[in-house]
Amino acid sequence: MSAFVAAAIALLVVMIPAGVVLWRGKLMEAVVAYEMISSVVVMVLALLAEGFQRPGVFELAILLAVLLLGSGLVFVRALERWL
Amino acid sequence: MVTQIIADVSLAVAVVIVAISSIGVLVMPDVYGKVHFVTPAALVAPVLIALAIAIREGYDQSSVQTWLALLFLVIAGPLLAHATLRAARIREKGDWRPGHSGDGPPDEAEGTEAEEAPR
Repeated sequence: MSAFVAAAIALLVVMIPAGVVLWRGKLMEAVVAYEMISSVVVMVLALLAEGFQRPGVFELAILLAVLLLGSGLVFVRALERWL
Repeated sequence: MVTQIIADVSLAVAVVIVAISSIGVLVMPDVYGKVHFVTPAALVAPVLIALAIAIREGYDQSSVQTWLALLFLVIAGPLLAHATLRAARIREKGDWRPGHSGDGPPDEAEGTEAEEAPR
């Protein structure tokens, strides 16, 4: 197991406290945790792509990073107005 | 060998930063405090990971794609933090502006209305 795969697994493990906030927290606190977890998942995908030498998986990381901005803004705007 | 050590140390520091940020998101009492801990995990840690991949791979497709994802994260992080705090304040106070929420100095329009109010 390379250092990149180990780092990806470690990142997923250390996200447990943020996952607790996402699960148990208030609505806006859960949104903050969701944004943080989404950013870390981008890194996890890049690390797994590097660790397993799969260059195609890097495109998933780029796609998630792009969608993170758009979906996050739409989600927060909906929370602000309607939810 | 030295580059391998630098890459591994960068990965370790990135994991530590994300761990501290994750704990910070858990222990902070309100949304305004929690947002402060998102920025290191969303900006600093990706830079370290992209640095580690660039050290390992050099200038090739993998490192360029990683830096591209990092670019989008750098753009998205501050924008999302601002939008999230704005939404939280609107949900809490009804408006994001200090003069309209009652917790700051009133703006000129509100002062004029108060002076012109019938006695």
